[in-house]
Amino acid sequence: MSKIIIGRYIPGNSIIYKMDPRGKIIATFLFIVIIFLANNWLSYLFLSFFTLLAVGATKLKPKVFWDGVKPLIWLILFTSVLQLFFTTGGKVYWHWGIFNISEYGIQNSIFIFIRFVMIILISTVLTLTTTSLEIADGMEWLLRPLRYLKVPVAQIALVMSIALRFVPTLLDQAVRIMNAQRARGADFNSGGLIKRIHAIIPILIPLFISSLTIAIDLATAMEARGYREGAKRTRYRVLRWSKYDWVNLGYFALLTLILLLTRTY
Amino acid sequence: MKTGIKKIDLQGLVTLALFVAMDIVLEKISFGPSTVKVGLGFIGSALLGYYFGPLWGGIGALISDLLRSAIFGVEGGFFPGFTLSAIVGVVIYAFFLYQKPIKWWRVIAATLLVTLVVNVLMNTYWIHLLYGLDLRAAFLQRILKELITPWIQIVVLYVILNAFQRVKIRR
Repeated sequence: MSKIIIGRYIPGNSIIYKMDPRGKIIATFLFIVIIFLANNWLSYLFLSFFTLLAVGATKLKPKVFWDGVKPLIWLILFTSVLQLFFTTGGKVYWHWGIFNISEYGIQNSIFIFIRFVMIILISTVLTLTTTSLEIADGMEWLLRPLRYLKVPVAQIALVMSIALRFVPTLLDQAVRIMNAQRARGADFNSGGLIKRIHAIIPILIPLFISSLTIAIDLATAMEARGYREGAKRTRYRVLRWSKYDWVNLGYFALLTLILLLTRTY
Repeated sequence: MKTGIKKIDLQGLVTLALFVAMDIVLEKISFGPSTVKVGLGFIGSALLGYYFGPLWGGIGALISDLLRSAIFGVEGGFFPGFTLSAIVGVVIYAFFLYQKPIKWWRVIAATLLVTLVVNVLMNTYWIHLLYGLDLRAAFLQRILKELITPWIQIVVLYVILNAFQRVKIRR
């Protein structure tokens, strides 16, 4: 439990830190869309080059990016290896039952490996260089057009900021509850499955009750301070679009263009 | 707790926010021996569906998924498909559990349907789409885990929902 870090933000002051969170979120989305365009060696080469350039532009240590990839490395390798055995086509090098290693299989598994790593790296760039509050503000702004579909965006924004504020509080609470139960002899890390299921209840119920109490108190406090539903309100935290964001979007537009030109049709 | 289907008052909204926070916290906890690790995230989803119904529970799932990616960063990259999966999961739980008495068959049906529709069909398809993985390979990779975990989840959910029913808050 104590190993859980809230927010992966690492302070810094390279160009990526000066960008607007909205621009960065849009760019991350765009990257996941354009990664579908890459389908040959040249396009994958450009894709990797641009991604590594973005990683380099954060001026963070490579180790923090490796930490992002590390928990998934076995999944990535396993997936690539499965892909290796199941793709057919091209020259066949080895064949046994339903398994075979072919020219296309080797190529595909390398492509999938690159795709995995690049997607993880770009999302890591976003979460490392932007505070979670900024990301939430950016997401709220991006959800705004949904109000024309009668989606309650203002309420979603409120729920988002309250939830974000209380995640660390509830995490602390959960740790404290677990310690309190341990002091009375509860054991969370041994015994069979059924025993462990029953061990969760003394954590969950107090957590649930304290959430409900916080909610009642907070709603009362908000109303006491003049919060009314649907009333017109101003904004204190405002996001500002800067010149660096045009650089950012231009960079991804360039990558899109290059991928469109280099891919095979 | 007062939560309507369409209208929601401030207290309901704040409660939803805290449930979303609880969902995010639970997602980070897993239990069991290292061979069969079971995450607790499904409890958060089931509670959102159970207490807030398909509409506001679904909205809660949306927010929870977005915030989780903002706070922790999504393992394997952000992809809107997984957000959709989270919403569908809560809607299925809500369909079986919202404002209904807790019965074994409801918990079993909800969990199996979530496992089948969300974990097996949707998430496999997203992985196929996102990483260009062969569909058969993607299925093979997930199927073993999805054959074991739902049965554990059913027992956990039944025990926990029954325990939660005993909590009554009065002020």
